[in-house]
Amino acid sequence: MLKADHVAGGAFVVLGLVVFALSGELPFGTLSQPGAGMMPKLAAGLMMAFAVVLMATARDGEPFSAIDWRDGGHAALVVAIAAAAAALYTTLGFILTMSLLVFALLVVVERKHPLPAALYAVALTLAAYWLFGKALKAPVPRGLLGF
Amino acid sequence: MDRRCFVVGSAASAAALSLSPSWAQEAYPSRPVTFVNPFPPGGAVDVVARPLAAVLEPIVKQPVVIETKAGAAGQVGAQYAANARPDGYTLLMHITSISGFAEVDKLFGRAPKFTRADFIPVARFIADPMLIVVNDQQPYKTLKEFVDDAKKRPNGIVMSSSGLYGALHLPMALFNKAAGIELRHLPTAGGGPALTALLGNNSQVLCSSIAAASGQLKAGKLRALASFGGRRAPALPDVPTLKELGYDVEFYLWVGLFAPKGTPDAMIAAWREFSRKAAAAEAFKKAMGNVGQDVAYLDQPEFKAFWDADAQRVEAAVQAIGRVQG
Amino acid sequence: METTLDSLLLGFSVAFRPDVLWYAFLGCLVGTLVGMLPGIGPLAGISILLPITFGLDATKAIVMLAGIYYGSQYGGSTTSILLRIPGEAASVMTCIDGNAMARKGRAGPALCIAAVGSFIAGTFGVIMLTVIAPPLAVVALRFGPPEYTALLVLGLIFLAYMSTGSLVRTLLMAALGLLFGTVGIDVMTGHFRYSFDIPELGDGLGIVPVAVGLFGLGEILATPSRQVAGPVHRPRLRELWPSRQEWRQARMPIARGSLLGFLIGIIPGSAHIISSFLSYAVERRVSAHPEEFGKGAVAGVAGPESANNAASTGAFVPMLALGIPTGPVTAVLIAALLIHGIPPGPTLVADHPNVFWGFVASMYVGNLMLLALNLPLVGLFVNLLRIPYAYLYPLIIMFCVIGVYEVNHSIVDVWIMLIMGVVGYALKKFKFDPAPLVLGLVIAPIFEMSLRQSLIMSDGGWLIFVQRPIALALLVVSAALLALSALSFLSARRDWRARLAEEAADS
Repeated sequence: MLKADHVAGGAFVVLGLVVFALSGELPFGTLSQPGAGMMPKLAAGLMMAFAVVLMATARDGEPFSAIDWRDGGHAALVVAIAAAAAALYTTLGFILTMSLLVFALLVVVERKHPLPAALYAVALTLAAYWLFGKALKAPVPRGLLGF
Repeated sequence: MDRRCFVVGSAASAAALSLSPSWAQEAYPSRPVTFVNPFPPGGAVDVVARPLAAVLEPIVKQPVVIETKAGAAGQVGAQYAANARPDGYTLLMHITSISGFAEVDKLFGRAPKFTRADFIPVARFIADPMLIVVNDQQPYKTLKEFVDDAKKRPNGIVMSSSGLYGALHLPMALFNKAAGIELRHLPTAGGGPALTALLGNNSQVLCSSIAAASGQLKAGKLRALASFGGRRAPALPDVPTLKELGYDVEFYLWVGLFAPKGTPDAMIAAWREFSRKAAAAEAFKKAMGNVGQDVAYLDQPEFKAFWDADAQRVEAAVQAIGRVQG
Repeated sequence: METTLDSLLLGFSVAFRPDVLWYAFLGCLVGTLVGMLPGIGPLAGISILLPITFGLDATKAIVMLAGIYYGSQYGGSTTSILLRIPGEAASVMTCIDGNAMARKGRAGPALCIAAVGSFIAGTFGVIMLTVIAPPLAVVALRFGPPEYTALLVLGLIFLAYMSTGSLVRTLLMAALGLLFGTVGIDVMTGHFRYSFDIPELGDGLGIVPVAVGLFGLGEILATPSRQVAGPVHRPRLRELWPSRQEWRQARMPIARGSLLGFLIGIIPGSAHIISSFLSYAVERRVSAHPEEFGKGAVAGVAGPESANNAASTGAFVPMLALGIPTGPVTAVLIAALLIHGIPPGPTLVADHPNVFWGFVASMYVGNLMLLALNLPLVGLFVNLLRIPYAYLYPLIIMFCVIGVYEVNHSIVDVWIMLIMGVVGYALKKFKFDPAPLVLGLVIAPIFEMSLRQSLIMSDGGWLIFVQRPIALALLVVSAALLALSALSFLSARRDWRARLAEEAADS
């Protein structure tokens, strides 16, 4: 039966192989003069070794099918909204992006009523803007509209 | 500040800004200007940019915001500024090493992320000649003793630096080439760690700015053997220049203001004027004097000529270092 | 000794001037704020407020700016404990057991213990700074690359005690962290490693984006709001203060954390980052109940929080006694002193006794102020947990994005944080603990650099690690630790990990 640790170990082995494939031109160097490629290759090698041990001892572990993925939809939605915010952040500026982020999370993910959600989003954003941008004078993204 | 008052006020001013762009064009700058600082806080640019911004604000009549975009020894900030909208609201403060990135990329066969042509020089504010310093556990009293010893044991003396191809590595490479000596290079994570390595005698020689070394020189923990200036530094009248000693090497750690390519001429002209006034301000001179620097202001034409000559020095230094084995 | 006392009295006469007191308070206040807000750390806080000090004299300026630094170490625990956002590298360990305590309804005690631990550690650090700064500073200078390498070997061995998972899982995560730590320009040769032409990756994966993603965002992704039944734990007033038992559990970890943190703090360079990690591992190693760690162990909050505060004070030793910028924050403070016309150097104490002793004395006062400032805030901040979860987590995500962006004004960091959030979610599904990953990420660049620097110094000879006394001593300790655990493994064939696994199997 496929165990969770088989899948996880396999993924780490694949990652290790990808790292080796990407480090083609990084010289390994010698023991007395380690090159740019030595440390990454050692770390990737170690990682693959532990991954193999993990797979070898996976028999008593949890089966892969036992992992509960039911929260995956929620997670994907949250990541998508946060990614949209990251993509728009420097273009739309602090206030618009952050209000929209909180508003979208509340309305799209949490199915809250738009009005209280909008009020909460704007109030929260303005408070954060005051804290970061005004009280601490930290440069925050201003965006095309100038704020 | 009363928060309610602020919220209303900022909403009103933001509305005014976005509603009347034509009004915004009349007086430049009409909103805060960002100076990109490509080095960590407390670094070579920061100590000049912060006092400069403080002096500039009453002249510009707008806030001057210093935005730190540190990374990859100044490359990240420079690339950010090179790709910024040339609307006169994003400018760059950078140092000597700005000329070296394209050359290093060439060395590794990479396409340069930006070149010198991506920037319009506006003004130079300071230019600090570099020093060759050794720690107090070394016997060398003069540069000649040092060079003689280095010739006797090539690759035997360790020099620390702020990093490969960094501002403290380049001048030493030029000097090594001119003197025909070979030193073992110990790169560190910055100017501070390079100085720490020298003081702890983990390295024996360092090329440092006067400002960074002055406290240790005064305490006798370090000795200056020579300076890279065209003439002796007023703060260190006893330290000979390399030119006096017969090496045709000159190198400065300078800080200048740049605008992204495509910034309108009128805005460049405005910043030349702002810079001239700020460089002449007593407060700025005093702050720079405290840091151990003299204001060495150059207006655009002179700065451009200086930068062109300086870039050749930097490129020569990068080529002298070449690709490091390993 | 008498002269020290005299000097300290001189210092207090400066520190108790009303205007100096005021600026110390201002610095502590801003420090608490920047420490609390994720992303804006002491570094940004100090450099942003530096221009404000131009009109002040040097003493007031340094007192205020230093207040921001050590004040931020107090605030750092707040978001870690309440929201599981590690605002900076030093508070990564706090968010494991601190947040677990908060989930059990012990947020108040966790915050109180963090504040009191910080106070004790900070005061201990200042006393050490007063009494033995100059001789210690000389030792600190002898801490070169070989000593660093040896210290990090010790750190890597302690890694094994970091996590609740099995040893293989812990080491696998650590190796992944080490691998992540190699991203970026190789400082020794100039090669770009795995940076895919993104210049922002040139300096590698930042600790804050990775930690915020793995701990903060990853946790949210794995916690859909409908699974959170009602408000988690409404804190009641009498639950704010730690119980007698919790104080007892915190006592020794605070003492050990203070000593360990101070010693690591005086080492020039970025060693102070590992102080809280090491303290956590030490507490777990010596604890009679290692299985409680990760589930809200008091020692897991008290130790690291004390250690990071003591380390921040320890960092002043080489800065003030030698005038060398040992880390990013002390570099800004030195720049600030320079701008005010005081060149830091070995002669600082002799040349400017008012500044030096006024500064030291103000730190005694400042730590008291911070305690008085932070304890009442505990009652205020636990109210954050009264916000229903559906409204709380959008707030957390917003602060994650803002905070991560503010570290370096880099949108790439925000993307790293998002990706690490997904990675953290997946790791949680497969029952991996991200803490060793973060320590691996912290250690990898410093370890690789100091190892290769050592080999440059010795021209390729590995004997340099046993020829230098401090390095040799650290390596001997490492070897002894390894031998001890191997011995117990052979003799008993079951340590607490095995016990734990059996208990889990039984239940």
